[in-house]
Amino acid sequence: MKVTITLRGTLKKYFGEDKERVYEVPEGCTCDEALRIAGINYREIKNFGFVSVNNKRVMIDDRLKEGDLLKAFSKVSGG
Amino acid sequence: MKRLKFNKTSCIGCQLCAQVCSAYKEGEYIPSKARIAIETYYDRGELKYADHFCILCGICARNCPAGAIKMDEYITVDHDKCIGCGACAEKCPKKVVRIRDEKSYICDTCKGDPKCVKTCPQHALTFE
Amino acid sequence: MTMMGYQNKVLRVDLKEKKSSTEPLRMDFARKYIGSKGLAIRYMYEELKPGIDPLGEENKLFLTTGPLTGTPVPCSGKLSVAAKSPATGTMNDCSIGGHVGIKIKFAGYDMVIFEGMAEAPCYVVIEDDKVEFFDASDLWGLGSHEAEALLAEKYGREYSIMSIGPAGENLSNMACINSDYYRQAGRGGIGAVMGSKKMKAILIKGTGGVKVADIEKTTDRILEILHEDVLQEDNTYVYDEGTTAFLEACEDGGIVPFKNFSSANDPEWEKYNGSVLLQYREGKRGCGSCGLGCGNFLKIGNAVCEGPEYETIAAGGPNAGIKDPEHIVKFNEVCDNMGLDTISTGDTIAWAMEMTEKGIHDFGVRFGQSKEMLEMIEKIARKEGPGADLCHGVKYCSEKYGGTDFAMQVKGLEFPEYEPRGSWGMALSYAISDRGACHMRAYAPNEEVFAASIPPYTEKGKGKMVYELQVSNAVKFSLCLCDFWGTISGNYEGMAELMRLITNEDWTAEEMFDVGVRVINIGRAFNQREGFNRAHDTIPKRLVKEALGGEGPAAGQRIPQEAFDDMLDQYYEVMGWNRDGTIPEEIIQSLL
Repeated sequence: MKVTITLRGTLKKYFGEDKERVYEVPEGCTCDEALRIAGINYREIKNFGFVSVNNKRVMIDDRLKEGDLLKAFSKVSGG
Repeated sequence: MKRLKFNKTSCIGCQLCAQVCSAYKEGEYIPSKARIAIETYYDRGELKYADHFCILCGICARNCPAGAIKMDEYITVDHDKCIGCGACAEKCPKKVVRIRDEKSYICDTCKGDPKCVKTCPQHALTFE
Repeated sequence: MTMMGYQNKVLRVDLKEKKSSTEPLRMDFARKYIGSKGLAIRYMYEELKPGIDPLGEENKLFLTTGPLTGTPVPCSGKLSVAAKSPATGTMNDCSIGGHVGIKIKFAGYDMVIFEGMAEAPCYVVIEDDKVEFFDASDLWGLGSHEAEALLAEKYGREYSIMSIGPAGENLSNMACINSDYYRQAGRGGIGAVMGSKKMKAILIKGTGGVKVADIEKTTDRILEILHEDVLQEDNTYVYDEGTTAFLEACEDGGIVPFKNFSSANDPEWEKYNGSVLLQYREGKRGCGSCGLGCGNFLKIGNAVCEGPEYETIAAGGPNAGIKDPEHIVKFNEVCDNMGLDTISTGDTIAWAMEMTEKGIHDFGVRFGQSKEMLEMIEKIARKEGPGADLCHGVKYCSEKYGGTDFAMQVKGLEFPEYEPRGSWGMALSYAISDRGACHMRAYAPNEEVFAASIPPYTEKGKGKMVYELQVSNAVKFSLCLCDFWGTISGNYEGMAELMRLITNEDWTAEEMFDVGVRVINIGRAFNQREGFNRAHDTIPKRLVKEALGGEGPAAGQRIPQEAFDDMLDQYYEVMGWNRDGTIPEEIIQSLL
């Protein structure tokens, strides 16, 4: 299935100039797995924040479905 | 000759340049004695800049009646010769010469390796 | 006893007698509480008798720097502004940026304490060891921006100015103190304390310096820290975007309040996103000693502000049901000029909108009404019409008119713009904060919403999580460091190193952690003396009874009372407090 991945904050650098990228990922894969296909391993990025699917925060191990928009944010601190 | 350059659109007005200048030159964090004074401020709904830094124009050296100021790659003030008349400060177009206890204090670009440039967190100050 | 980095001097200003005096800083306090926030609270505990009227002559206004203030330690330009709060009756310490903190230090003081009340409006000019009092009757009634402009023209820009607007003069519980136009000590009616003293403005100029032991070695190391730790991308987003960056994260996180916290997502949030607002940016500005430069100076139409910060965007926009970026900037500008805290003012008007919509009481303002909202700010500041009630904040108004269940406040301080049903730790954080609902005590969303694998909708583990966040901030703010140096948070060794560099004395990571715990305890001890206990650590009924509306990720959530009580138990336990929220006597003794 196809999902669209877009990055925010300091994670943007992983996609260079691209605002978003479309990836072919296995049926029912998790956000974590999809991000790793895009070359992003959240465990290894110190300031990795969280992910949302279709603009709603989810847990990193939640599953994706065809056509989802997966967004990954870097950490924000303070207020 | 390399000179200090200031790009005001990058400046955030943090005044770290002056604090660090005074640290190395005066042994104290004391911006009022620093040889650079760059700040930003608001004035009735406008963001404004005050940029007092040495541009190595040499006007101070040319106007020193005691021959105490010498300019090569950077400026040196011979305090044995300086009479504290203030001619240098008066003529300085950037208003950055300080007179204290009848002696003149002028930026020497840290002898060609300015600390303020190394400090500036937003690279508003350069030396080129 | 003295210590490097400190001026070892306090300036005490008596507004009634128009006199000032100096005295040594209590270094026994400084050893235990360092500076800024912690030191201010310790002084308040010592000098403010229990039960005093926050707007009476026994309250004092404490401006407190720290040992790092005035040095090039990055992000050290913040100043604590503290007093007993008229809004809550608790202690209240606010943090203000700009340049006023470093100017106090260069004037030769660690602290300035204003006491008593002037008989007529005055302003105070401090230049090094000279303190002068002037008549402010011509300035009284003016907006902060106008008053500051007149004073700046008269005295020149070498002075930093702190001022109040009409809201402070009229003793509003939501009045803030402005500084150099666009920075505020915002919360808990701190501006009303200044107003009660009839002090319109404070001008400060300092030509002195700060001494440290081995200045070259110290400065070399500070510059390394600046370039290697502070100016890394984890922190530099604040230059690129400032807190406008939070909006999208908070929207996707489901915690941006919409229409007085009835739901937590606005499908049209992109209309006022940072990407829109920052198109109007004219410049960047940081505080003294900053390095990062979070301030976005921008103009849209005839509206101008430094900001708007996330809090103000949410308070002036979605929480009031308004989506117009120009309105948000105007809301910010008018609040600043009138001397009102944007958070409390926005929340109070949002509550009035809901009251009007529900037909409980007609305040003449409804969700989505920009013009009426902007007019209401002035009415609040000048105590006109409905503003005469609303200026007291939502606690007072809901006790008078009803609507307490959706009066979004704790202890009389209105909610910052994070919906706790989408971040349960934030419910605890608001409830236990030493000055009522505040996001600067423990910023829970950072751990449980902006994190990939910690669930936000549970009470489990939240007591310890909030405790750890709160300790870190308590130390950080006692060092007068800015929140936006994110990578120093929780880095106690890093904070200890800064103290070693500046004071030339031994400080360990463990000692720094202990300072944080002590600062939390002394704040709590102050409040306990004022009669606060578990019964006051509450959250509004809306969070407990009503499922969160809208379509966001937290829609349908509520925080069951048992879950909230459990979080309180966890937190009290880790703090070593009694189950009724009181502090054991031996802890109190250890604080003094």
